[in-house]
Amino acid sequence: MATELKEQVSPLTAEALVEDYRYGFHDPENYVFKSAKGLNEEIVAKISSMKGEPDWMRAFRLKALELFHAKPMPAWADTAALSEIDLSNIHYFVKSTEKTEQSWDDVPDDIKRTFDRLGIPEAERKFLSGVSAQYESEVVYHSVIEDLEKDGVIFCDMDTALREYPDIVRKYMATVIPPGDNKFAALNSAVWSGGSFVYVPPGIEVKMPLQAYFRINTENMGQFERTLIIADKGSKVHYIEGCTAPQFSTSSLHSAVVELIAMEGARIRYTTIQNWYRNIFNLVTKRAVAHKNATVEWVDGNIGSRLTMKYPAIYLIGEGARGEILSAAFAGEGQHQDAGAKVIHAAPNTTSVVTNKSVSAHGGKTTYRGLVEIHAGATGAKTRVKCDALIMDDKSSSDTKPTMKIHEQQSTVEHEASVSKIGEEQLFYAMSRGLSEADATALIVNGFFDFFVKELPMEYAVELNRLIKMEMEGAVG
Amino acid sequence: MAEPVARKSEIADGATKRVDVGGQSVLLCNVEGEIFAIEDVCTHDGGPLDEGELMGDRIMCPRHGAFFDVKSGAALTLPAIVPVQTYKVRTAGDDIFVEV
Repeated sequence: MATELKEQVSPLTAEALVEDYRYGFHDPENYVFKSAKGLNEEIVAKISSMKGEPDWMRAFRLKALELFHAKPMPAWADTAALSEIDLSNIHYFVKSTEKTEQSWDDVPDDIKRTFDRLGIPEAERKFLSGVSAQYESEVVYHSVIEDLEKDGVIFCDMDTALREYPDIVRKYMATVIPPGDNKFAALNSAVWSGGSFVYVPPGIEVKMPLQAYFRINTENMGQFERTLIIADKGSKVHYIEGCTAPQFSTSSLHSAVVELIAMEGARIRYTTIQNWYRNIFNLVTKRAVAHKNATVEWVDGNIGSRLTMKYPAIYLIGEGARGEILSAAFAGEGQHQDAGAKVIHAAPNTTSVVTNKSVSAHGGKTTYRGLVEIHAGATGAKTRVKCDALIMDDKSSSDTKPTMKIHEQQSTVEHEASVSKIGEEQLFYAMSRGLSEADATALIVNGFFDFFVKELPMEYAVELNRLIKMEMEGAVG
Repeated sequence: MAEPVARKSEIADGATKRVDVGGQSVLLCNVEGEIFAIEDVCTHDGGPLDEGELMGDRIMCPRHGAFFDVKSGAALTLPAIVPVQTYKVRTAGDDIFVEV
């Protein structure tokens, strides 16, 4: 039975797996497993049993699978692009020790060129392209982990968290994004693997940003990551994931779920930069809940992919809670960045700021899709939404679809949107100063994204500026 | 004298039944033999809950998956935040009475 469920990447190791380590593979990390294409109950149950999960998690996954099959594809989205996804032709679970055992030779040349031009170090290149297991940062990692442990901060991958802190995981997981939220949240709930778990105890301020890079883990870059961050009362944490360099992946569908919980007076900043290869569908559900006087900030940059659908949300449920969503998107040839933000003001004196900037070039398409909702009784709520789109040429396009649902008279709502084409005069001026057309364009686009870049750690900011310049030349993989 | 809104024998353990009580849509939920009544409206999107699945004492909204505690009405997960209205239930023999 079990052999029907998988393709044996290595017959000996796969056999060892199902035969209860008959061949002496006692270390569960010593196998390579790839589930068969498509998804059914047996595959989901197998994922759960391979991970040695408790019964409640297996039941959770199976229920989520039912919901995934029952829910339709979103009809409001880019249905033409979504129809390109063949859900029955995907391996939903791949497990290995040394990452995906991919060869450097398999990495497309255009990605290698981009690494060269960005100046990405050798070790990091291999990590980013899935050739090696991890970014070589073990020394840094260990000292960071020691400091965190002293303060009682938990930072590990979700699979470890489920094993070592099952009570916390069970209490909070899927309370922000339940499996039935949407088709892809259901999919993630059924087959999730990897992702980060962070718990910050009351009053603790994590001074150094936590980076997904630091996790020594073979499932860092999984297709269906599940991340849960809990900042207890009065604590502070900044989490960073992703990178500016293009991420190559052989799997075309990536669907993460990220849940943030900021308790009273806590503060969470979550920074993401994603630059997926152009074959990838990146369909992500990200949502945060902010209790009384808590602050949540999403800083979200999207470059690359075939289609990205991502709308980081903040539910301001406690009085005085504050949310900020800062996002930037760049769509090049054949790409659609369908990104936005959602803020729900459900308590008095809550405030939010949404800033979204997008650039479409070389035939790319950007969509801003946003929601601001102010519940009745959320007196004194204030929100400011600003979305600007820059269109670089006649082949490219941009849509803005903001929704405002205001049920409280005593609230302040500001909305500002602009769509513009790159100005001939601006270009002419910059070129009259001796810049080439590409340099001048990059300068203007970098200026357009400046609000975003200055919120990033230095190394990300430098890379992003370089990357934008390359995008403007149409030279990025 | 109030009329019974439904009969207990009509609602199996773990099942729900939607009834109209004085113009109000009420969802009766059988939790291990005990009947609880909530307003048949998801506080998240205003749609009905009656096609949602009852799992123990929690009901899942069929559209966006929010869970409510049918005993207290509490919203247990987002995207719902506001509790759902609960009603007092009285049973006499097989008859179910709801105070709206």
